[in-house]
Amino acid sequence: MWKALLYKEWIKTRWYLLLALLVTLGFAGYALLKLHRAVALMGAGHIWEVMVTRQAVFIDQMQYVPLLAGLALAAVQYLPEMHRKCLKLTLHLPVPALATLGVMLAFGVAVLAVLFGLGIALLAAGARPVLAPELVGNILHAALPWYLAGVAGYLLGAWTILEPTWKRRILCLLMSVLLLRLFFLAPVPRAYGGFLAVLALLSLCAASLSWLSVVRFMAGRQD
Amino acid sequence: MTRFAKLFFWFLVLVLLLWQLPWAVNYLLVQSRNTPFTLYSEVLDDFVMIRHTSDKEVEYRDRAGNEYTRRAFDSLLPLFYARQLTADGRFPDSVAGRPVTLREAQIASFIFRSAPKDLNRPAPGLHFLLESMSGRVDLAMPSDAFRLTGRGIEFIDMAANRIDTAKSGRFTRMLLRKGCRFPVRELSGNPSARKEYDEGYLLLDADGGLFHLKMMQGRPYVRAVELPEGLRLRHLFLTEFRSRRTLAFLTDESHRLHVLTMPGYGIRRVEGVTFDPERESMTIVGTLLDWTVCVDGASAERYYAVSADDFSLLDTLSYPLSERRIPGLSFTSSSDRYVKPRFR
Repeated sequence: MWKALLYKEWIKTRWYLLLALLVTLGFAGYALLKLHRAVALMGAGHIWEVMVTRQAVFIDQMQYVPLLAGLALAAVQYLPEMHRKCLKLTLHLPVPALATLGVMLAFGVAVLAVLFGLGIALLAAGARPVLAPELVGNILHAALPWYLAGVAGYLLGAWTILEPTWKRRILCLLMSVLLLRLFFLAPVPRAYGGFLAVLALLSLCAASLSWLSVVRFMAGRQD
Repeated sequence: MTRFAKLFFWFLVLVLLLWQLPWAVNYLLVQSRNTPFTLYSEVLDDFVMIRHTSDKEVEYRDRAGNEYTRRAFDSLLPLFYARQLTADGRFPDSVAGRPVTLREAQIASFIFRSAPKDLNRPAPGLHFLLESMSGRVDLAMPSDAFRLTGRGIEFIDMAANRIDTAKSGRFTRMLLRKGCRFPVRELSGNPSARKEYDEGYLLLDADGGLFHLKMMQGRPYVRAVELPEGLRLRHLFLTEFRSRRTLAFLTDESHRLHVLTMPGYGIRRVEGVTFDPERESMTIVGTLLDWTVCVDGASAERYYAVSADDFSLLDTLSYPLSERRIPGLSFTSSSDRYVKPRFR
């Protein structure tokens, strides 16, 4: 049954995942291309100086890409469930509803982890030949909250989409927007420090919110 | 799971309310401070101030409440407004009984600023050591960067992205020979080519010893600075002012302000001035005869007038701050560059 559930999620999302892979890696690759081009044109010294003295990280253009990827995955995975009323059928499978939801969310978080892990690895491997480890670290520390926002965006997106009533959905949306703002407050790289681990934990706890929406759905709440 | 999810939901609601509601109220109700721009007048031997009134007019006053015209006010601060007075043909031959020239006044003038967010921030990890004695008038940024490790100093050639072991060894050996113990606790420098001269860095080593490091014709210049008995330094601020009379401002563990004077690497206490760089902002407006030190504390904006000759305290003034803010949760602060929850 678990395999069948995972396969269902895979069928729903496979083309989107290919697109997300191309877009997220494409943006990371484009940022690296710009960095290498700047090093070639201006010299490594100038780029290092800008990165040290002005805290530039050269990947600003991909700031919201992981968030959009996470939100879009939530939409691709859960909008059809709600729109075509498939969720009702899914919840009637001979598996506890909580476990069903858990598998669906775990699938989403896992594929995002792979997707974002590849992005982080690409950034690290692409920047290292021209930058010192400290500067590569700055880039990765700037990108980590953005990638984490992608995971949080996915889980909060799932919570909002699975919510059966519009009144409550607007509340979910408002709370999600404010919570996601937390991932984009860094004035300089490495600004989050230990708080990033707390944010990661809170992001994972956000998976429990979807269960509230499902409970309300099963209770027959609707507009 | 339902109970946990509900608890987590209400926890998030509480966090968001504690964060957003006080912010919104403070944003709408709290007014900006209107403490006047204050300087010490060497003519009146007292503080004078410029205040913007509520009807957007500018008042020029002294502490006694006497009002002045803009033109008369310039004459109260002849060293601060030296260029204006010279343009008007009113620059005096002497100030407070001391003969002065415009050039003297200009060379001795400086403005120094320090803000907590400049210290409370993630360390960059890399630094640039300029050539201090290249023989050229203009300074240039180096082709390498350096990092401080637990065992020494490492220079990295930026174009090759490789450690320059020969140079690293040379500088590390010199620092060790002069008594510097790694890891270095703090360093201060102004790594920019847009200044008149370069004094490299001041370092505070693992034992609290003070060292001056610069590069002269590619070679290391390291000077161990003797500290007065019992002085334990906390923060360093390399100055590089035009006059070259000071090398740095220093604060100790009791937040007292000191000056590292040149030539001779003398350490002199600035009488009466206390300043915690991690929590307070400080501005010093220096002229040939005196400095006006403004420390922006939590409960008051404190002004100190200090003699530029012997750093003795001439006068003090304090503006109490009664900022009424609704306490709440925030994740960023004007005092640091970190993102973390704080309730204030």
